[in-house]
Amino acid sequence: MNYIQTLRTAKDVVTPGMSACQGCGAELILRRVLQLAGQNTIVCVPPGCLGGSGVVGWDYQTGMEIPVHIPLLTNTASYLSGVSRMYQRKGRGDVNIVCVAGDGATADGGFQSLSGAAERNEKILYICYDNEGYMNTGFQRSSTTTLGSHTSTTPLGSVISGKEQQQKYLPLIMSMHNLSYCATASPSHMADMVAKIEKGLAWSKEGFAYIHMFSPCPTGWLYDIDQGIQIARKAVQSNFFPLWEMENRKYRMTYDNKKPISIADFVKDIGKFRDLSEQDLAAIQSMVDDRYEKLKKLSSEADCNE
Amino acid sequence: MSERKHISPIGQEGLYVLDTASWRTHRPVMDKNTCVECGICLSYCPVNSIIFNDENKYEITYNYCKGCGICAVECPKKSISMVAEGGEDHG
Amino acid sequence: MGEIKAMTGNTAAAVGAALSRPDVIAAYPITPQSSVVEYLSDLVHNGSIASTLVATESEHSAMSVLQGVASAGGRAFTATSSQGLAFMYEPYYQMSTMRLPMVMALVTREMISPCTVWGGQQDAMSVRDAGWIQLYAENNQEIMDMIIQGYLLSEHKDVLMPVNVCYDGFYLSHLVERVDIPEQSKVDAFLPAVSFDHVVLDPLRPMAVDSLTSGEVLMRYRMSHLEAMQKTLDVLEEVDEKFYAAFGRKYGGAIEEYRCEDAEFVILTIGAMTGTARDAVDYCRDNGTKVGLIKLRYTRPFPQQRLIKALAGKKGFAVIEKSVCYGWNTGPMYVETRSAVSETLSGLSHFSAIGGLGGADISLNHMISVIDTLQASLNTPGQKQTLWLVKE
Ligand code: SF4
Ligand code: SF4
Repeated sequence: MNYIQTLRTAKDVVTPGMSACQGCGAELILRRVLQLAGQNTIVCVPPGCLGGSGVVGWDYQTGMEIPVHIPLLTNTASYLSGVSRMYQRKGRGDVNIVCVAGDGATADGGFQSLSGAAERNEKILYICYDNEGYMNTGFQRSSTTTLGSHTSTTPLGSVISGKEQQQKYLPLIMSMHNLSYCATASPSHMADMVAKIEKGLAWSKEGFAYIHMFSPCPTGWLYDIDQGIQIARKAVQSNFFPLWEMENRKYRMTYDNKKPISIADFVKDIGKFRDLSEQDLAAIQSMVDDRYEKLKKLSSEADCNE
Repeated sequence: MSERKHISPIGQEGLYVLDTASWRTHRPVMDKNTCVECGICLSYCPVNSIIFNDENKYEITYNYCKGCGICAVECPKKSISMVAEGGEDHG
Repeated sequence: MGEIKAMTGNTAAAVGAALSRPDVIAAYPITPQSSVVEYLSDLVHNGSIASTLVATESEHSAMSVLQGVASAGGRAFTATSSQGLAFMYEPYYQMSTMRLPMVMALVTREMISPCTVWGGQQDAMSVRDAGWIQLYAENNQEIMDMIIQGYLLSEHKDVLMPVNVCYDGFYLSHLVERVDIPEQSKVDAFLPAVSFDHVVLDPLRPMAVDSLTSGEVLMRYRMSHLEAMQKTLDVLEEVDEKFYAAFGRKYGGAIEEYRCEDAEFVILTIGAMTGTARDAVDYCRDNGTKVGLIKLRYTRPFPQQRLIKALAGKKGFAVIEKSVCYGWNTGPMYVETRSAVSETLSGLSHFSAIGGLGGADISLNHMISVIDTLQASLNTPGQKQTLWLVKE
């Protein structure tokens, strides 16, 4: 079965009408992850775009056909550790214990609990949808926001324009927790993403599995609502968001980028990069090149999923 | 106060569903003359509004489609066009 | 009768927890709590108990793990103190508002600043409105017994709230006393396996836990929580009786009255200082002073009716506390006690006494000075100046 056959038969367990924006990358990610996880799943969606989009329900109604909880911004991984431990005790280790969390809940406020759960190798599949900011509270910067981005806390000012720091590269940090499985994925490369979600689910029965996903956001990044997949594709093609995975402690590039496009090309239709200075652009390009080289050195082989 | 016991905040009385179709300004329309039934549109639709129907064809449904136009952009055959919503009827 | 052993308060807490057969123990070390979890870790690693142990990276995560455990239908235990509790506050509050049962030993300690690691009750008092049941033990036997009772109370269908068993850091946690350990079989009979299922994350019974909730509906959850807190006042007395029937020890429920029947006035105490207060009362009684003692065992729920009864006909009271209430220039339980007896307050002489902060001692002389000061003021009803129990 190819990935499209898989997707067209996998039941969607999320409410058909949720309030994520038109063209939201995170909605796409949530639906794909939970379609593949299926009914025998417990999911946590911490505060963030998805947590606030109605998928956890409203009053006495639920937003999903599977058990769902909105934990704190800061404790998703530790909360699910407890759920996971209980399911091991009950002899029901077959239940998928999953979360779909934003970059704020993952890389910032929730990082301590995430790092703790990862180090303890808890049996969880942790998905981060990285839209580079606190979008649900109004597009504020996070530690994964790219240098020079306009956000509502890194605005365009007469003295300082945009974010002054480079982003934190969380997936590599996570992989060094001796995880069972660690990967990056982009919805533009759907076959690869589907394969990685399936692997992540399988590995989460052995230990901690982490997938960092590129989540384009039309509202916060200011691009046309139909361009999300195009932007995600360019992110991969420019090495801004390299695709790789770590399995059995071996790193592998899953998209071998023979002819990368430039960062200038990647950012050009994205409003949050509107006023990127030449220096910022050069700094991002250099960071991206450097990161890609490091990842290639780590990787044993270039064997692509698509 | 109803008979309900308000102990823990739980939701188990049906699905909470928003009428997202009402957000749509443009609707995607699929041209079956050029469509090659590859399913790429289905894989990218964030809302899962594109289905594989009983006749084994990809089909756009309109109950929740937000009209983002991603399917139209991603279709390799350019078989989907975005058409302005005419009246008050959202299909 | 079970086995008799000499042990610290922390060991008593750990043994009480072990006897209660928790599914999961999650904790993070902090003074003066650490040896509770060290003891339990030994038991788990030696296979003496079947609990799962999760050594988390913080107290915040310890409470979060246990929230996950309880929402998957498990019995949970942790212990903490002071800054650990403060760090835990976010999931701590949610534990109670999700109405998830568990027991936590709170080995009370002062809050910083200035830097301190010693005793006091400020940590527990600071979270008195977080929706938890809070009770204070006087000695190591009571610690062990109340942890076992705590589970029965916490999981009671009319309660469904987490329980703090508070006891004084160092004074109880590290001092050795004789403890009668209940037999496992008797504890099993007293405390059945977990049966709560009002909230559960289970694919076989899908539900949303903590759906986004409107204010109108949220208020109903709060009303129900407050009602359950009041109902707990009855349930805790039943549990005390039940424990007495099973183990032959009885603590008096929400408060314990000592030599109060014919007393003219009373002092109120919380936790380990009660032992010294008993001696002071005995001493003053020997000298003809008609003083009684009320040991406040539960602060949440607050035993208003029992206090009204206990203070009926008395001429005055003083509440001795190891914590402060910043807005009142008194201790917090003084404010609540005067509020409980507000209808008869105008005829009473009363004040707050504060001592034992940051591990300072509350001596027999301190207790006697409280009794003497109160006695001297009985003829002039009203609030007297807060008495600080510092070194003479
Ligand atoms: S317009 Fe957007 S929501 Fe509607 S079918 Fe196409 S991709 Fe899906
Ligand atoms: S992507 Fe285009 S060609 Fe492929 S199924 Fe959809 S409409 Fe048809």
